[in-house]
Amino acid sequence: MIRDAEGRYWEEGQEVFETPQAAPDPKPWSETRVVGTRRMRVDAYERVSGTAEYPSDLLLPGMLYGAVLRSPHPHARVLSVDATAAEALPGVRAVISGFTPLNAALRPHEQLIRETLFGPVRRFEGEAIAAVAADTPYHAHDALRALKVEYEVRPFVSDERDALAEGAPLVHEEGNRVGDASTYARGDVAAGFAEADVVLEEEYRTECQIHVPMETHGCVASWDGDTLTVWESTQGVFPVQAGVARGLGMPLSRVRVIGKYMGGGFGSKLSMGDYTLMAALLAKVSARPVKLFITREETLLSAGNRPPSNTRIKAGVKRDGTLTALDLSATGTGGAYRAGGTGGLDFLVRELYRCSNVRTETQDIYVNAGPARAMRAPGYPQAAWALEQMMDALAEAIEMDPVALRLKNISLVSQVRGRPYTTTGLEACIRDGAEAFGWEAAKARAEATRDAPVRRGVGVAAAMWGAGGGGPPATVILKLFSDGSLNLNLGASDIGTGTKTIMAMVVAEELWVDPDTIQIEHADTGTTQYATASGGSKTVPTESPAVRAAALDLKKQVLEIAAAQLGVDVATLALREGKVVTTSGPSQEVPLARLNDLRRRGVVVGVGYRGPNPEGKMVNPFAAHFCEVEVDTRTGRVELVRFLAAQDSGRVMNRTTYDNQVHGGVTMGVGFGMTEKRVLDRGQTGRLVGHGWTDYRIPTAMDVPTSLEVLPIDLGDREANSTGAKGLGEPATIATAPAIANAVHHALGVRITATPITPAAVLEALAAQRQESTR
Amino acid sequence: MIKSFAYVRPTSVDDALEMLGADGARVHAGGTDLMGCLRDGVFEAERVVSLRDVPGMRGVRASTQGVTIGALTPLAEIARHSVIGEQYTALARAASVVGTPQLRSQGTLGGNICQRPRCPYFRAGFDCRRKGGRICYAVGGDNHGHAIFGGVRCHMVHPSDTAAALTALDATVVAVGRAGERRIPIGDFFVAPSVDPTRETVLEHGEMVKEIVLPPAADDQRSSYHKEGHRRTWDFALAGAATALRMTGGNVAEARVVFSGVAPVPWRSMAAEEALQGNTLTPEVIGRACDAAVEGAAPMRHNAYKVGLLKGVLEKEMLRYV
Amino acid sequence: MSSSKEPPRGDGLSVSRRGFLTSMGLGAVGVALPEITPATGPEIVPAGDVTRIALRINGRTHPALVEPRWSLLHVLRAEVGLTAAKEGCGRGECGACTVLVDDQPRYACLTLAVEAEGAEITTAEGLMEGEELGPTQQAFAETDAFQCGYCTPGQVMATEALLRANPHPSPEDIRGGVSGNLCRCGAYENIFRAVERAAELRSGGAS
Ligand SMILES: Cc1cc2nc3c(=O)[nH]c(=O)nc-3n(C[C@H](O)[C@H](O)[C@H](O)COP(=O)(O)OP(=O)(O)OC[C@H]3O[C@@H](n4cnc5c(N)ncnc54)[C@H](O)[C@@H]3O)c2cc1C
Ligand code: FES
Ligand code: FES
Repeated sequence: MIRDAEGRYWEEGQEVFETPQAAPDPKPWSETRVVGTRRMRVDAYERVSGTAEYPSDLLLPGMLYGAVLRSPHPHARVLSVDATAAEALPGVRAVISGFTPLNAALRPHEQLIRETLFGPVRRFEGEAIAAVAADTPYHAHDALRALKVEYEVRPFVSDERDALAEGAPLVHEEGNRVGDASTYARGDVAAGFAEADVVLEEEYRTECQIHVPMETHGCVASWDGDTLTVWESTQGVFPVQAGVARGLGMPLSRVRVIGKYMGGGFGSKLSMGDYTLMAALLAKVSARPVKLFITREETLLSAGNRPPSNTRIKAGVKRDGTLTALDLSATGTGGAYRAGGTGGLDFLVRELYRCSNVRTETQDIYVNAGPARAMRAPGYPQAAWALEQMMDALAEAIEMDPVALRLKNISLVSQVRGRPYTTTGLEACIRDGAEAFGWEAAKARAEATRDAPVRRGVGVAAAMWGAGGGGPPATVILKLFSDGSLNLNLGASDIGTGTKTIMAMVVAEELWVDPDTIQIEHADTGTTQYATASGGSKTVPTESPAVRAAALDLKKQVLEIAAAQLGVDVATLALREGKVVTTSGPSQEVPLARLNDLRRRGVVVGVGYRGPNPEGKMVNPFAAHFCEVEVDTRTGRVELVRFLAAQDSGRVMNRTTYDNQVHGGVTMGVGFGMTEKRVLDRGQTGRLVGHGWTDYRIPTAMDVPTSLEVLPIDLGDREANSTGAKGLGEPATIATAPAIANAVHHALGVRITATPITPAAVLEALAAQRQESTR
Repeated sequence: MIKSFAYVRPTSVDDALEMLGADGARVHAGGTDLMGCLRDGVFEAERVVSLRDVPGMRGVRASTQGVTIGALTPLAEIARHSVIGEQYTALARAASVVGTPQLRSQGTLGGNICQRPRCPYFRAGFDCRRKGGRICYAVGGDNHGHAIFGGVRCHMVHPSDTAAALTALDATVVAVGRAGERRIPIGDFFVAPSVDPTRETVLEHGEMVKEIVLPPAADDQRSSYHKEGHRRTWDFALAGAATALRMTGGNVAEARVVFSGVAPVPWRSMAAEEALQGNTLTPEVIGRACDAAVEGAAPMRHNAYKVGLLKGVLEKEMLRYV
Repeated sequence: MSSSKEPPRGDGLSVSRRGFLTSMGLGAVGVALPEITPATGPEIVPAGDVTRIALRINGRTHPALVEPRWSLLHVLRAEVGLTAAKEGCGRGECGACTVLVDDQPRYACLTLAVEAEGAEITTAEGLMEGEELGPTQQAFAETDAFQCGYCTPGQVMATEALLRANPHPSPEDIRGGVSGNLCRCGAYENIFRAVERAAELRSGGAS
């Protein structure tokens, strides 16, 4: 973010509006007591006892259950929906579609219903056609089956590799290209290749990955007059509030969104979904609360995905390991609508390693498939899959160690943005990670298995994440009650990353109180302060400085109250274990609960805002992953024997949840690299093949590395923000899959360039290798 | 979500058969496959007949005549049963790799051999040949999981792990219907799509599996089962091998080799058996058996890897006997 | 459970019980139905009707009116109001709904409520010792064996089942024991620690 002469803030050419600054940011802590320790979550009890109330758990009196009819065709025009039979079924309370008559309650939303939610042309399998509300989910699904829909089925294209061919069916009339290709260039790529000793070119593919959080997407909607309350499973209550208010034409003040617990999102719950509006409308027309959670099948079709990618990289390197040129061209697809199908695909090539000559070109393509939604570091795992395998191939070609090649090309400045990083742990992640992993020994061990049926291999891959510095706006309120207990009020969601616990630790650090005395009120647009959605790995770096600022604001007031009461200079006072104590002069102390002014007022309120990020600097997290595999050449089975993740995410706030985040990132990377693949019936029906987790396979307890180690790299970032934290959730998943692919290559000598590395893929690669060698 | 059905819980075999006679009646054993099929609309049930309270259909009885396993015996019980573990290891192993602990404690042996196929086209709203439609979508579509043997008209693979083991162990299925009891050799129990692509077993409507009988195990009989799936748990076999060998000295006196995950029925490989019989299990013999096993395989566009996988699985299994 | 949780009521459904089939508004359902001895042959609950059953859940008896097609999971969550068991898929593919039925782990989504009649059902709520966490739950809390926590009650129940049958599991037993429970957040590493810790706590190990 940069600040201009008028004091306005800009990022990437966009003006950033931010909350006012209460006070200049304090310096980051140089020593901590609470922050950085291992601490049990403040809500552990609720989560393990089963008492945590997730939106899908909510039961309201008179509540109905919603369900959605979705298009069975990848491309069709809906000609009519006949709801007569459905409406006559027992227990059915409401049916809405683009064709059913609208009663008075729904008439104001006619356009939304007829054109947007259930518009006549459906461009992907799973796009909504109608919604119902009934006494039980069973009755709701009975009603769906009783709806009679006439379709005009249209030609479709389900795969972006077919969509630009001559005569391919059009998803939209204007053609299947989503605008022109995006391009980027610096230096002179041709000159770079001319300079190189080795030039390699390779194509990589990653398959579509789907978020599939354990709790599906949905909400409970309930009206009280013209005020709507929505309990939504979401990463951000404020974006949902904004979406609902806009969709239904209501003032923000009349839409309250609550989302305290939620069963995972990974980017797919950053904003509202079609289900949110449908639930609100069904609740309105039935005059009853409506719970609408989509089914697992629907999440595979319509709740977002990490789109497939096709990437060609050409790279030049000198014998000494200097990268001379990188040229990338990639295609991807956001599905049937504009959804950033190629977003982030080229960023690592532009940024991760020092290289003067870079050119990229990405083309987003429409297909008849469910739209993408941001998924854990959108674009980056795909990009790392390509770039980090290419780095390995280059290392092999110049007979250099892959760790050494990476270390040779570290950049201390953001090459894309021309500004230095506040800190870059890339080098430390790679170097210290390799040492902690025992890279050299493992490599030698692997090489001794070359002729065995079960072969070992080691792989490394590095990553950075283009966001993860956080930034304004964030507003936080901290209340001190007369008995010395505290209430921390922030709008952010805790999506399982441990946000609440970390924020309590920040307060405890600053005020020297027991974190357990802090009650947290969060993720409720009715009672908490504005916060952006928890995504982009920016929640901790965004919120923790604001929480710290609120704590400092509160502390200042408390010390002033105490100074007046004790008759001493405020500068001599400090907080210690729930008391105000003098740090110089005659020893005096007063417990917080004995502050007269506090007791008279009942509460003291501290307010904190998130200040801007440092001018002229970039705040980015970095990572390097190391993996040792055992590959059975007879069955193609790849065993992840050992895994180490070195992460530079700035300050470790809570080592317990830090490790857990990294475990989760690696696990999702294992899924991306080894098990997950959305299969559309390409060239036949275009429909999803397999409607559950039997066919869309995510890693189980048996698929994760046998040993998984986390190595935090904390360089003591004193510039990023006042807590020194950078994002973690996303950078922990980017490098995993290519590290595995590189290890498999090391074990077998064959390169698998397409995800996922299944037993089938390994066996096919080995068969091709055998054919090659007998030729 | 599931459509309405009537429910009945008879308390005798006769009552159960009476109840099963009705149109649209379906057996409910553990329900793990039935519920999924009904949810996905694979077929419909007008009446669900629960066998839960039918006496005498659960448990393992060992005698000199062999071992009789009630159709309702949960897989978990079979997996940890000491006699089965020792004398019919293939079955214990197969039962122990079905799905997950939860599925094994709920799923029954009868249900396991009567479950419907897992071809994703069959399961998810495609009007395929097994549902009486005109085409097998796997031919032109995604067929990475499909058959490399015996795929005629329908290319699904038989989903059951225990079926392969039972075939290797030469089991007999005891079926009861209103007409009485029939003893069906396991080799005749499953229906190949070349015969009828819409059914997987020879059971007639109104008939049910009462028990499964394993012949007495010879003293020198050893057996084993191993499968490879995509993931290490939950998944159906991409390829699996059930083997039962009688060894005299170092020699294979008799061998039965049956594959799962590669054909629409448990796939017995006489060729592999022949390559083993009368020989010592040297690497060469094992190699010949593996080659013989995949002779005649007819892979489709995405499943050629199964040929290599099957050989790999068999090779590793044979090494257990060495 | 919060008091705002009141099971929804379906109107106009009919009720059947043991040879007594009748159509009645559910308003009348609070009234005890007369005991009727079955006529000959097993009694059939017709499609679409509700039947009265009694479920033994966490040591208590819960009468409930259910349709034959309703899953135990639906009845636990929506009718009885015990929401610890979660739905992740409804088809035996995730384990979020894991409960114990006579000490055996089962997917409540694949279990018909009518089939669970007469069995002892245990949910995560039933592992609590008053307000205190039971040892398995305590172990999950201590080892941070979750992120979003949605799969957690199911993981806890799978662990409970494992440890009831096998109090001293090996690392392979542990992985196998929770191999029927997905965690999309990927907290498996800590879940393994939790199972180890739970085994310790249950055998009176150091707390
Ligand atoms: C996610 C998932 C993964 C699975 N993985 C595997 C796997 O890896 N390997 C594997 O082998 N299976 C697997 N299964 C399939 C299967 O559910 C179980 O194996 C189980 O054994 C089926 O038994 P059940 O008692 O629950 O059958 P039910 O669901 O009760 O019945 C299955 C079918 O058989 C019929 N039937 C049941 N009993 C009889 C009988 N005695 N006589 C006549 N007909 C009968 C029913 O009418 C029904 O059509 C999996 C299932 C799921 C849901
Ligand atoms: S909800 Fe039962 S297994 Fe997923
Ligand atoms: S903790 Fe989120 S799914 Fe397991």
